[in-house]
Amino acid sequence: MDDFIAALTKVNGCCEQVADIGAAAAYIARHSDGPLLLPPQPSLLRIGLREELVRAGLPVIDNDWRAQAPTADSGITGANFAIAATGSIVLDSTQEAVRLASTLPERHFVLLDPAKILPEATDGIPIVRRIHQETPQTYLAYITGPSRTADIERVLTIGVHGPAELHILLLPGLSDDPMES
Amino acid sequence: MIKPERSRNYQNRIQDALLKPNLQETLGKFADAYVLAREAAFAGQDFEALRDSIAEIKDEVRNNLPKYLEEFTTNAEAAGAKVFLAKTAEDANRYILDLARARGVKKIVKSKSMASEETHLNRALIEAGVDVLETDLGEWIVQLAGERPSHMVLPAIHMVKEEVAELFSKATGRTESAEIPHLVRVAREQLRQAYLDADLGITGANAAIAETGGLALVTNEGNARLTSTLPKIHVALVGIEKLVPTLEDAHNIINVLPKNATGQLITSYISWIRGAVPCGDAAKELHIVLLDNGRSALAESAVCRDALRCIKCGACANVCPVYQIVGGHVFGHVYISAIGIILTAFFHGLDNAAELVKACIGCRACVAVCPSKIDLESIILHLREVLGEEEGIGTGKSLVFKKIMRNRKLFHGMLRAASLLQKPVTRGERSIRHLPLFFSGLTEWRTLPAIADKPLRDLWNTLPQKLEKPRYRVAFFAGCLNDFVYPELGQDLVKVLNHMNVDVSFPLEQNCCGVPALYSGDRETATALAKQNIDAMLQSAPDFVITTCPTCTMSLQRDFLDLLKENPEWTSKAQQLSAITMDISRFIVDELDGSSAFAGVADLSSVTYHDSCHLKRGAGVWQQPRELLERSGHTLAEMAHSDRCCGFGGSYSFTGHPEIARRILADKIRDIETSQADCVAMDCPGCLMQIKGGLEKQEKPIRAAHTIELLAEALRKTKFED
Ligand code: SF4
Ligand code: SF4
Repeated sequence: MDDFIAALTKVNGCCEQVADIGAAAAYIARHSDGPLLLPPQPSLLRIGLREELVRAGLPVIDNDWRAQAPTADSGITGANFAIAATGSIVLDSTQEAVRLASTLPERHFVLLDPAKILPEATDGIPIVRRIHQETPQTYLAYITGPSRTADIERVLTIGVHGPAELHILLLPGLSDDPMES
Repeated sequence: MIKPERSRNYQNRIQDALLKPNLQETLGKFADAYVLAREAAFAGQDFEALRDSIAEIKDEVRNNLPKYLEEFTTNAEAAGAKVFLAKTAEDANRYILDLARARGVKKIVKSKSMASEETHLNRALIEAGVDVLETDLGEWIVQLAGERPSHMVLPAIHMVKEEVAELFSKATGRTESAEIPHLVRVAREQLRQAYLDADLGITGANAAIAETGGLALVTNEGNARLTSTLPKIHVALVGIEKLVPTLEDAHNIINVLPKNATGQLITSYISWIRGAVPCGDAAKELHIVLLDNGRSALAESAVCRDALRCIKCGACANVCPVYQIVGGHVFGHVYISAIGIILTAFFHGLDNAAELVKACIGCRACVAVCPSKIDLESIILHLREVLGEEEGIGTGKSLVFKKIMRNRKLFHGMLRAASLLQKPVTRGERSIRHLPLFFSGLTEWRTLPAIADKPLRDLWNTLPQKLEKPRYRVAFFAGCLNDFVYPELGQDLVKVLNHMNVDVSFPLEQNCCGVPALYSGDRETATALAKQNIDAMLQSAPDFVITTCPTCTMSLQRDFLDLLKENPEWTSKAQQLSAITMDISRFIVDELDGSSAFAGVADLSSVTYHDSCHLKRGAGVWQQPRELLERSGHTLAEMAHSDRCCGFGGSYSFTGHPEIARRILADKIRDIETSQADCVAMDCPGCLMQIKGGLEKQEKPIRAAHTIELLAEALRKTKFED
């Protein structure tokens, strides 16, 4: 977990360890500024994140994704697994809502169970293969830090087309199943 | 285009690039930062093993292409994609255009795809009335400027922020400030709506995985994710060389790509896309256009086919001294730098590659960093030969090579005559500072050494060697520069080797090593010279053949073998010579264990070391001369970029591209000066000529010397005086 946090910090990602769902919702409330896209992620549904966010008074969008995504401030997803060496999270984005939530808004919040952190990228390949075997169509994303560019004078600049902020919330006990996010 | 006109055009473009302010500074700064970042990214990893594995994956696919094509196609189509195999660029463009027409497509967003640059897809679409927008920031910038990318990974690296601000201001109709974060913000806002409005998105792919029928796409900005998500139709245009067998193979390539491209450990996004994923209420329409366009022909060429291993990391440009001076618009066509020369020849025709082929100085920096283990320089050399056969190498050159060089006595006779003829310009000095009339350009920025009064071959018998029981008997292959320009270097060599009880002979029948002919594309003359030299050097059955010039070393070790590979009898002789040929530093350190023999003979003066391209990246020697210099008592003050080319490159700096050579030399002189050493040592008479010439012309109080010269001098000054 320490390696993961260190690697993620190096690529300008934010990482926060949260004790429970209430703390996660409070963190999101502090760091977001507008409508939240919340696609139906099994792990997030199970813990009742939607209700928690609503209770915190946050505007949650959980339908009509295509129409609402362009104006959303943030997207919230889970993750299938993560890689400590590079600070990456791996997210099955086959559902369109997941893709919209993780590409269009300014901010992307990811809830991750630290039990899902694998040491090296190679450790994840068997899981990637299983996901390919179990879903006929696949859109799988490795996400490492926020969107970046160095196309003007080689100067690193954060937030071009994708999210300008990536927040990973480490929530123990969320889900240790790499086949779900 | 006819040849003289083409050459003239090319020379003009070089001049324009040289005049462009900022270009060299920008590229130079990037090159420096790149080397450090790359080193850090690969820390603790075995680069050789990694590149072996990439080469193996790519060769496997190349050798079994039909099998992997079928596997990929079957799996991709099972997942709902349509796969089209395009034989030519026109086929690919037509397929995409027909699709756009059939679906009534008005707006297209694109994320970066070199294959689409290769087919000039944008032009075809725009001519058909479709709106096409590049969304990668760099690509958008060059699109606004009406240019093409000057680098495969960093398309707009040739521009500064002020130029970008000007372009953006035109696009938005406001005045945009030249602050980079602001400009990035402008791009985000301007392009956002385009993704939402587009009917079709075009991407490339970094790998097409046969096992899954899926594509892997690597980006930092996130534009490929939006391009492949928002529009209802996704077209991926992918070269067939991007096929890999398994997910592990794709992973291996993606692991190395960003590290070697920019020194980044991993890109922000890697997307694995397979089949018709959900899109709105329906499924996405995914078309995969697999592009051949010359790749099959390239696979047929035994000499060039390794180029298909390329993963488009752009590293061969990052380290190339020619690229650093003129940039990718001049040193490239669609694809740039070393790999660009080769791909251009196969994808866009030899004519488009002809001038580029000649612009390479042969320093092999690209070969050292290529993650796909492509011997780029050898392939370029081969293309130069092909070109030489097709176009001829110019009457003057051809006459010199064929009629004069092949006849050793005539050639050496002419060099002797030249030594007399030059008298008026040398005024008895050893360096030529000015040349009259149209030759004057050559001595504007460096002095040139005069041809010696007496070549080494005439002096040899005056060098006494009194060894009773020599440890080895070696034959010295001097090469033209050592023989006719720096004969004293031969005397130094005898001094040094005798000190270690090694007897040296000078076979008089030796001739030019053939590199000037070979590098100009005259393989026939090079082959004739190889035969002459093999006979000459093997005649006395020496224990070793020793050289002081690494270009000669490579010629004797490598090129002769290649030149004579069709002839079994000559092959075995060439192998014999190759096995016993060695440059002097390596011979002393590795064979004679000789660095102790020189311990403490030199004074404490500080020396910096210049790595000759052919010595370090050809013969793999760089440690040995340093060891000799340090053990003998010098302090070693390393210069920055010690292994960057000095710009000599044989005829390159005379008739080929003197203006490029001049800039490369200027950088070298700056690095030498900054090291604050009293002397710069090297192991190549060509580099010596170039660097000494530059230092003298700029009147720098720094000495340039061959390592052997320094060792011999130290011996003369110490108790070993004889
Ligand atoms: S050999 Fe040197 S000059 Fe030629 S392409 Fe490679 S890096 Fe550039
Ligand atoms: S030839 Fe090698 S170094 Fe050049 S882009 Fe291709 S893979 Fe990279």
